[in-house]
Amino acid sequence: MHAFVTVGSTRFDTLVQRALSDSVIDVLRSKGYSKIVVQCGNSDFNTESYERCGDCWVRKGDEDIEVWRFKESLQEEYKQADLVISHAGSGTILDVLRMRKPLIVIPNETLLDNHQQELASALVNLGHLKASTVLGLPEAIRRLDPSSLIPFPPFVGSRFKEMLDDEMGFA
Amino acid sequence: MQDTNASFSTRAAWAVLAVITIVALRIYCILPRPSVVKRTRRRKLTCALGVFLGSGGHTSEAIALMSALDFSRYTPRTYFVSEGDILSAKKALAFESEKAAQTDSHSTLGTDPRSPYGIFTIPRARRVHQSLFTTPFTALRSVLSCIYYITLAPLASQDNLPEVLILNGPGTACVLCVAVYVNKFLGLASPRLIYVESFARVGSLSLSGKLLRPFVDRFIVQWPDLAKERPGVEYRGWLV
Repeated sequence: MHAFVTVGSTRFDTLVQRALSDSVIDVLRSKGYSKIVVQCGNSDFNTESYERCGDCWVRKGDEDIEVWRFKESLQEEYKQADLVISHAGSGTILDVLRMRKPLIVIPNETLLDNHQQELASALVNLGHLKASTVLGLPEAIRRLDPSSLIPFPPFVGSRFKEMLDDEMGFA
Repeated sequence: MQDTNASFSTRAAWAVLAVITIVALRIYCILPRPSVVKRTRRRKLTCALGVFLGSGGHTSEAIALMSALDFSRYTPRTYFVSEGDILSAKKALAFESEKAAQTDSHSTLGTDPRSPYGIFTIPRARRVHQSLFTTPFTALRSVLSCIYYITLAPLASQDNLPEVLILNGPGTACVLCVAVYVNKFLGLASPRLIYVESFARVGSLSLSGKLLRPFVDRFIVQWPDLAKERPGVEYRGWLV
Protein backbone atom coordinates (compact mmCIF):
# COMPACT_ATOMS: atom_id res chain seq x y z
CA MET A 1 0.00 0.00 0.00
CA HIS A 2 0.95 3.61 -0.57
CA ALA A 3 0.97 6.51 1.92
CA PHE A 4 1.19 10.12 0.75
CA VAL A 5 2.13 13.02 3.03
CA THR A 6 1.51 16.56 1.76
CA VAL A 7 1.80 20.14 3.02
CA GLY A 8 0.60 21.72 -0.25
CA SER A 9 2.25 25.02 -1.08
CA THR A 10 2.84 25.90 2.58
CA ARG A 11 5.75 25.30 4.89
CA PHE A 12 5.24 22.97 7.84
CA ASP A 13 8.66 21.86 9.16
CA THR A 14 7.48 19.93 12.20
CA LEU A 15 4.99 17.83 10.23
CA VAL A 16 7.52 16.94 7.52
CA GLN A 17 10.20 16.09 10.09
CA ARG A 18 7.77 13.97 12.09
CA ALA A 19 6.54 12.17 8.97
CA LEU A 20 10.15 11.24 8.14
CA SER A 21 10.94 10.12 11.68
CA ASP A 22 11.48 6.44 12.52
CA SER A 23 8.40 6.36 14.75
CA VAL A 24 6.08 7.34 11.88
CA ILE A 25 7.84 5.24 9.23
CA ASP A 26 7.80 2.17 11.51
CA VAL A 27 4.09 2.43 12.25
CA LEU A 28 3.26 3.00 8.55
CA ARG A 29 5.27 -0.08 7.59
CA SER A 30 3.66 -2.17 10.33
CA LYS A 31 0.23 -1.21 8.93
CA GLY A 32 1.30 -2.34 5.47
CA TYR A 33 2.19 0.99 3.83
CA SER A 34 5.37 0.00 2.03
CA LYS A 35 5.69 3.04 -0.24
CA ILE A 36 5.89 6.47 1.45
CA VAL A 37 5.90 9.68 -0.62
CA VAL A 38 6.30 13.05 1.15
CA GLN A 39 5.57 16.36 -0.62
CA CYS A 40 7.26 18.86 1.68
CA GLY A 41 6.78 22.22 -0.09
CA ASN A 42 9.14 24.78 1.40
CA SER A 43 9.65 22.90 4.66
CA ASP A 44 13.12 22.18 6.05
CA PHE A 45 14.17 18.65 6.85
CA ASN A 46 17.43 16.85 7.51
CA THR A 47 18.67 15.76 4.08
CA GLU A 48 21.73 13.87 5.46
CA SER A 49 20.18 10.44 5.24
CA TYR A 50 18.72 11.19 1.78
CA GLU A 51 20.15 11.05 -1.69
CA ARG A 52 19.25 13.54 -4.39
CA CYS A 53 17.63 11.70 -7.27
CA GLY A 54 16.48 14.01 -10.06
CA ASP A 55 13.70 16.23 -8.70
CA CYS A 56 13.36 14.35 -5.43
CA TRP A 57 15.25 12.84 -2.50
CA VAL A 58 15.33 9.12 -1.79
CA ARG A 59 16.20 7.67 1.61
CA LYS A 60 19.61 6.00 1.58
CA GLY A 61 19.12 2.25 1.66
CA ASP A 62 15.33 2.50 1.34
CA GLU A 63 14.12 3.45 -2.11
CA ASP A 64 10.48 3.29 -1.10
CA ILE A 65 10.70 6.58 0.81
CA GLU A 66 10.67 9.64 -1.46
CA VAL A 67 10.62 13.35 -0.61
CA TRP A 68 9.49 15.92 -3.18
CA ARG A 69 9.33 19.69 -2.82
CA PHE A 70 6.46 19.97 -5.30
CA LYS A 71 4.67 17.52 -7.51
CA GLU A 72 3.29 18.19 -10.97
CA SER A 73 -0.17 17.00 -9.96
CA LEU A 74 -1.29 16.31 -6.41
CA GLN A 75 -4.54 14.85 -7.76
CA GLU A 76 -2.52 12.05 -9.34
CA GLU A 77 -0.81 11.34 -6.00
CA TYR A 78 -4.11 11.26 -4.11
CA LYS A 79 -5.44 8.80 -6.67
CA GLN A 80 -2.53 6.42 -6.09
CA ALA A 81 -2.54 6.74 -2.32
CA ASP A 82 -4.23 4.39 0.14
CA LEU A 83 -3.72 6.89 2.97
CA VAL A 84 -3.18 10.66 2.85
CA ILE A 85 -1.61 12.60 5.72
CA SER A 86 -1.90 16.34 5.25
CA HIS A 87 -1.91 19.83 6.71
CA ALA A 88 -5.51 20.93 7.30
CA GLY A 89 -5.86 23.21 4.25
CA SER A 90 -9.45 23.25 3.00
CA GLY A 91 -8.51 22.68 -0.65
CA THR A 92 -6.51 19.54 0.14
CA ILE A 93 -9.25 18.26 2.45
CA LEU A 94 -11.93 18.66 -0.25
CA ASP A 95 -9.79 17.07 -2.97
CA VAL A 96 -8.82 14.05 -0.88
CA LEU A 97 -12.25 13.41 0.65
CA ARG A 98 -13.93 13.66 -2.77
CA MET A 99 -11.65 10.84 -3.92
CA ARG A 100 -12.87 8.85 -0.91
CA LYS A 101 -9.33 8.37 0.42
CA PRO A 102 -8.63 7.88 4.15
CA LEU A 103 -7.25 11.17 5.49
CA ILE A 104 -5.45 12.23 8.66
CA VAL A 105 -5.03 16.00 8.97
CA ILE A 106 -2.63 17.86 11.23
CA PRO A 107 -3.75 21.48 11.79
CA ASN A 108 -0.79 23.83 11.98
CA GLU A 109 -0.96 25.17 15.52
CA THR A 110 1.56 27.90 14.81
CA LEU A 111 -0.79 29.72 12.42
CA LEU A 112 -2.43 32.78 13.96
CA ASP A 113 -5.88 32.04 12.65
CA ASN A 114 -7.34 28.86 14.11
CA HIS A 115 -9.87 28.22 11.37
CA GLN A 116 -7.90 25.18 10.11
CA GLN A 117 -8.45 23.63 13.51
CA GLU A 118 -12.17 24.49 13.36
CA LEU A 119 -12.62 22.88 9.96
CA ALA A 120 -10.70 19.77 11.02
CA SER A 121 -12.78 19.36 14.21
CA ALA A 122 -16.06 19.86 12.35
CA LEU A 123 -15.16 17.14 9.83
CA VAL A 124 -13.90 14.82 12.58
CA ASN A 125 -17.28 15.23 14.32
CA LEU A 126 -19.01 14.24 11.07
CA GLY A 127 -16.74 11.19 10.88
CA HIS A 128 -15.17 12.02 7.49
CA LEU A 129 -11.54 12.17 8.60
CA LYS A 130 -9.17 11.90 11.56
CA ALA A 131 -7.19 14.77 13.03
CA SER A 132 -3.95 14.56 14.95
CA THR A 133 -1.20 16.68 16.43
CA VAL A 134 2.33 16.46 15.05
CA LEU A 135 3.43 14.56 18.15
CA GLY A 136 0.46 12.20 18.16
CA LEU A 137 0.80 11.21 14.48
CA PRO A 138 2.22 7.67 15.03
CA GLU A 139 -0.63 6.86 17.43
CA ALA A 140 -3.23 8.31 15.01
CA ILE A 141 -1.87 6.12 12.19
CA ARG A 142 -1.82 3.06 14.48
CA ARG A 143 -5.46 3.57 15.51
CA LEU A 144 -6.76 4.45 12.03
CA ASP A 145 -9.42 2.10 10.69
CA PRO A 146 -10.26 3.35 7.16
CA SER A 147 -13.51 1.38 7.09
CA SER A 148 -14.83 3.36 10.08
CA LEU A 149 -14.66 6.67 8.18
CA ILE A 150 -17.95 8.00 6.82
CA PRO A 151 -17.81 8.58 3.04
CA PHE A 152 -17.84 12.28 2.14
CA PRO A 153 -20.95 13.31 0.14
CA PRO A 154 -20.41 13.97 -3.57
CA PHE A 155 -20.29 17.49 -5.01
CA VAL A 156 -23.79 18.89 -5.69
CA GLY A 157 -23.34 21.56 -8.33
CA SER A 158 -27.08 22.15 -8.70
CA ARG A 159 -27.35 23.92 -5.30
CA PHE A 160 -25.46 27.01 -6.35
CA LYS A 161 -26.81 26.83 -9.90
CA GLU A 162 -30.40 27.01 -8.57
CA MET A 163 -29.58 29.90 -6.25
CA LEU A 164 -27.98 31.91 -9.03
CA ASP A 165 -30.63 31.09 -11.64
CA ASP A 166 -33.26 32.18 -9.13
CA GLU A 167 -31.40 35.37 -8.27
CA MET A 168 -30.92 36.32 -11.91
CA GLY A 169 -34.52 35.56 -12.90
CA PHE A 170 -34.03 32.36 -14.89
CA ALA A 171 -37.17 30.59 -13.74
CA MET B 1 -10.50 90.43 8.60
CA GLN B 2 -10.44 87.86 11.37
CA ASP B 3 -14.21 87.78 11.27
CA THR B 4 -14.36 86.86 7.60
CA ASN B 5 -11.69 84.19 8.14
CA ALA B 6 -13.68 82.72 10.98
CA SER B 7 -16.91 82.78 9.03
CA PHE B 8 -15.12 81.24 6.03
CA SER B 9 -13.79 78.32 8.03
CA THR B 10 -17.17 77.85 9.70
CA ARG B 11 -18.84 77.79 6.31
CA ALA B 12 -16.22 75.37 4.97
CA ALA B 13 -16.78 73.10 7.94
CA TRP B 14 -20.54 73.14 7.34
CA ALA B 15 -20.01 72.44 3.65
CA VAL B 16 -17.77 69.44 4.40
CA LEU B 17 -20.32 68.18 6.91
CA ALA B 18 -23.11 68.57 4.37
CA VAL B 19 -21.17 66.66 1.72
CA ILE B 20 -20.38 63.83 4.17
CA THR B 21 -24.05 63.65 5.18
CA ILE B 22 -25.24 63.54 1.58
CA VAL B 23 -22.68 60.85 0.66
CA ALA B 24 -23.61 58.80 3.73
CA LEU B 25 -27.33 59.12 2.93
CA ARG B 26 -26.73 58.15 -0.68
CA ILE B 27 -24.75 55.04 0.39
CA TYR B 28 -27.49 54.20 2.88
CA CYS B 29 -30.08 54.45 0.10
CA ILE B 30 -28.18 52.08 -2.21
CA LEU B 31 -27.50 49.38 0.39
CA PRO B 32 -29.16 46.08 -0.51
CA ARG B 33 -32.54 45.39 1.08
CA PRO B 34 -34.38 42.09 1.33
CA SER B 35 -36.99 41.88 -1.38
CA VAL B 36 -39.89 39.47 -1.73
CA VAL B 37 -40.47 40.23 -5.38
CA LYS B 38 -39.26 37.39 -7.55
CA ARG B 39 -37.11 38.65 -10.36
CA THR B 40 -37.95 37.51 -13.85
CA ARG B 41 -35.89 38.26 -16.91
CA ARG B 42 -37.58 40.34 -19.55
CA ARG B 43 -35.07 41.89 -21.86
CA LYS B 44 -32.16 39.52 -22.19
CA LEU B 45 -31.91 35.76 -22.29
CA THR B 46 -28.25 35.82 -21.33
CA CYS B 47 -26.57 37.17 -18.24
CA ALA B 48 -23.01 38.53 -18.17
CA LEU B 49 -21.20 37.05 -15.20
CA GLY B 50 -18.11 38.14 -13.28
CA VAL B 51 -16.17 36.10 -10.76
CA PHE B 52 -13.16 36.91 -8.62
CA LEU B 53 -10.54 34.17 -8.35
CA GLY B 54 -8.85 34.95 -5.05
CA SER B 55 -5.92 32.45 -5.42
CA GLY B 56 -5.38 29.00 -3.90
CA GLY B 57 -8.42 27.55 -2.16
CA HIS B 58 -10.53 30.61 -3.03
CA THR B 59 -9.95 30.00 -6.74
CA SER B 60 -10.78 26.30 -6.47
CA GLU B 61 -14.01 27.11 -4.65
CA ALA B 62 -15.02 29.83 -7.13
CA ILE B 63 -14.48 27.45 -10.03
CA ALA B 64 -16.45 24.69 -8.27
CA LEU B 65 -19.35 27.18 -7.84
CA MET B 66 -19.27 27.95 -11.57
CA SER B 67 -18.89 24.35 -12.70
CA ALA B 68 -22.60 23.46 -12.86
CA LEU B 69 -23.77 26.76 -14.43
CA ASP B 70 -25.28 26.80 -17.90
CA PHE B 71 -22.68 28.77 -19.85
CA SER B 72 -25.05 29.46 -22.72
CA ARG B 73 -27.02 31.50 -20.16
CA TYR B 74 -24.11 33.04 -18.30
CA THR B 75 -22.22 34.70 -21.11
CA PRO B 76 -19.89 36.48 -21.51
CA ARG B 77 -17.85 35.66 -18.40
CA THR B 78 -15.24 37.85 -16.79
CA TYR B 79 -12.59 36.41 -14.47
CA PHE B 80 -10.81 38.83 -12.16
CA VAL B 81 -7.45 37.63 -10.85
CA SER B 82 -4.86 39.33 -8.65
CA GLU B 83 -1.65 40.56 -10.24
CA GLY B 84 0.95 37.79 -10.31
CA ASP B 85 -1.56 35.04 -9.66
CA ILE B 86 -0.71 33.10 -12.81
CA LEU B 87 -2.02 29.85 -11.38
CA SER B 88 -5.58 31.22 -11.09
CA ALA B 89 -5.47 32.57 -14.65
CA LYS B 90 -4.32 29.15 -15.85
CA LYS B 91 -7.11 27.47 -13.89
CA ALA B 92 -9.67 29.79 -15.51
CA LEU B 93 -8.36 28.90 -18.99
CA ALA B 94 -8.39 25.18 -18.24
CA PHE B 95 -11.89 25.43 -16.77
CA GLU B 96 -13.23 27.32 -19.80
CA SER B 97 -11.86 24.78 -22.26
CA GLU B 98 -13.23 21.93 -20.15
CA LYS B 99 -16.71 23.56 -20.15
CA ALA B 100 -16.45 24.24 -23.90
CA ALA B 101 -15.66 20.56 -24.52
CA GLN B 102 -18.75 19.58 -22.49
CA THR B 103 -21.15 21.90 -24.33
CA ASP B 104 -19.77 21.04 -27.78
CA SER B 105 -20.71 17.43 -27.31
CA HIS B 106 -24.13 18.15 -25.76
CA SER B 107 -25.65 21.01 -27.69
CA THR B 108 -26.13 22.25 -31.19
CA LEU B 109 -25.89 25.93 -30.23
CA GLY B 110 -23.84 28.05 -32.59
CA THR B 111 -20.74 29.76 -31.27
CA ASP B 112 -21.26 33.14 -29.66
CA PRO B 113 -19.87 35.86 -31.90
CA ARG B 114 -18.73 37.81 -28.85
CA SER B 115 -15.72 36.65 -26.91
CA PRO B 116 -17.29 34.29 -24.35
CA TYR B 117 -14.83 35.16 -21.58
CA GLY B 118 -12.05 37.49 -20.53
CA ILE B 119 -9.46 37.46 -17.75
CA PHE B 120 -8.64 40.78 -16.09
CA THR B 121 -5.77 41.42 -13.69
CA ILE B 122 -6.17 43.60 -10.60
CA PRO B 123 -3.06 45.08 -8.91
CA ARG B 124 -2.74 43.89 -5.32
CA ALA B 125 -4.00 46.29 -2.66
CA ARG B 126 -1.22 45.21 -0.33
CA ARG B 127 1.54 42.69 -0.81
CA VAL B 128 2.55 40.38 2.02
CA HIS B 129 5.06 42.24 4.28
CA GLN B 130 4.50 45.53 2.47
CA SER B 131 5.09 48.61 4.65
CA LEU B 132 1.99 50.32 6.00
CA PHE B 133 3.20 53.70 4.71
CA THR B 134 3.10 52.68 1.06
CA THR B 135 -0.12 50.66 1.38
CA PRO B 136 -2.47 53.62 0.68
CA PHE B 137 -0.80 54.14 -2.71
CA THR B 138 -0.93 50.50 -3.83
CA ALA B 139 -4.49 50.23 -2.50
CA LEU B 140 -5.48 53.31 -4.52
CA ARG B 141 -3.93 51.79 -7.65
CA SER B 142 -5.94 48.64 -7.03
CA VAL B 143 -9.20 50.60 -6.54
CA LEU B 144 -8.59 52.68 -9.69
CA SER B 145 -8.02 49.57 -11.77
CA CYS B 146 -11.32 48.08 -10.52
CA ILE B 147 -13.10 51.36 -11.27
CA TYR B 148 -11.70 51.17 -14.77
CA TYR B 149 -13.13 47.67 -15.33
CA ILE B 150 -16.45 48.16 -13.53
CA THR B 151 -17.26 51.86 -14.04
CA LEU B 152 -15.34 53.37 -16.97
CA ALA B 153 -14.96 50.60 -19.56
CA PRO B 154 -18.70 49.75 -19.47
CA LEU B 155 -19.52 53.41 -20.28
CA ALA B 156 -18.14 52.70 -23.76
CA SER B 157 -19.75 49.30 -24.13
CA GLN B 158 -22.32 47.91 -21.71
CA ASP B 159 -21.45 44.37 -22.80
CA ASN B 160 -18.36 44.53 -20.66
CA LEU B 161 -20.24 44.94 -17.41
CA PRO B 162 -21.18 41.78 -15.52
CA GLU B 163 -24.81 41.59 -14.43
CA VAL B 164 -23.77 39.53 -11.42
CA LEU B 165 -20.45 39.31 -9.59
CA ILE B 166 -19.52 36.26 -7.52
CA LEU B 167 -17.10 36.87 -4.65
CA ASN B 168 -15.50 34.26 -2.38
CA GLY B 169 -12.76 36.36 -0.72
CA PRO B 170 -10.10 37.33 0.18
CA GLY B 171 -9.17 41.06 0.43
CA THR B 172 -9.18 42.14 -3.21
CA ALA B 173 -12.87 41.13 -3.38
CA CYS B 174 -13.52 44.23 -1.21
CA VAL B 175 -11.77 46.44 -3.78
CA LEU B 176 -14.07 45.15 -6.53
CA CYS B 177 -17.00 45.84 -4.24
CA VAL B 178 -15.84 49.47 -3.82
CA ALA B 179 -15.92 49.89 -7.61
CA VAL B 180 -19.43 48.42 -7.78
CA TYR B 181 -20.52 50.97 -5.17
CA VAL B 182 -19.08 53.78 -7.29
CA ASN B 183 -21.53 52.69 -10.02
CA LYS B 184 -24.41 52.47 -7.57
CA PHE B 185 -23.51 55.88 -6.12
CA LEU B 186 -23.59 57.46 -9.56
CA GLY B 187 -26.79 55.65 -10.52
CA LEU B 188 -25.05 53.61 -13.24
CA ALA B 189 -25.84 49.98 -14.00
CA SER B 190 -24.10 47.74 -11.51
CA PRO B 191 -23.72 44.00 -10.99
CA ARG B 192 -25.60 42.17 -8.26
CA LEU B 193 -23.16 40.99 -5.63
CA ILE B 194 -23.14 37.42 -4.38
CA TYR B 195 -20.69 36.55 -1.64
CA VAL B 196 -20.04 32.89 -0.84
CA GLU B 197 -18.05 32.35 2.35
CA SER B 198 -15.30 29.75 2.07
CA PHE B 199 -15.90 26.09 3.01
CA ALA B 200 -12.99 26.58 5.43
CA ARG B 201 -15.11 28.94 7.58
CA VAL B 202 -16.97 26.85 10.11
CA GLY B 203 -17.48 28.96 13.21
CA SER B 204 -16.50 32.52 12.28
CA LEU B 205 -16.72 34.72 9.20
CA SER B 206 -13.56 35.71 7.35
CA LEU B 207 -12.42 39.33 7.50
CA SER B 208 -13.62 40.02 3.94
CA GLY B 209 -16.90 38.31 4.80
CA LYS B 210 -17.39 40.56 7.83
CA LEU B 211 -16.55 43.68 5.81
CA LEU B 212 -18.70 42.85 2.78
CA ARG B 213 -21.79 41.44 4.49
CA PRO B 214 -23.80 44.70 4.68
CA PHE B 215 -22.97 45.57 1.07
CA VAL B 216 -23.77 42.40 -0.89
CA ASP B 217 -27.15 41.27 -2.25
CA ARG B 218 -26.76 37.63 -1.21
CA PHE B 219 -24.49 36.36 1.56
CA ILE B 220 -24.14 32.57 1.53
CA VAL B 221 -22.26 30.43 4.06
CA GLN B 222 -21.40 26.75 3.94
CA TRP B 223 -21.70 25.77 7.62
CA PRO B 224 -25.00 26.05 9.54
CA ASP B 225 -23.62 27.80 12.64
CA LEU B 226 -22.64 30.86 10.58
CA ALA B 227 -26.26 31.46 9.54
CA LYS B 228 -27.53 31.36 13.11
CA GLU B 229 -28.43 34.75 14.59
CA ARG B 230 -27.27 36.50 11.43
CA PRO B 231 -30.38 37.73 9.58
CA GLY B 232 -30.13 37.52 5.82
CA VAL B 233 -27.29 35.01 5.85
CA GLU B 234 -28.20 31.90 3.85
CA TYR B 235 -27.10 28.30 4.36
CA ARG B 236 -28.00 25.55 1.88
CA GLY B 237 -25.37 22.94 2.55
CA TRP B 238 -21.94 22.64 0.98
CA LEU B 239 -21.64 24.34 -2.39
CA VAL B 240 -18.10 23.31 -3.35
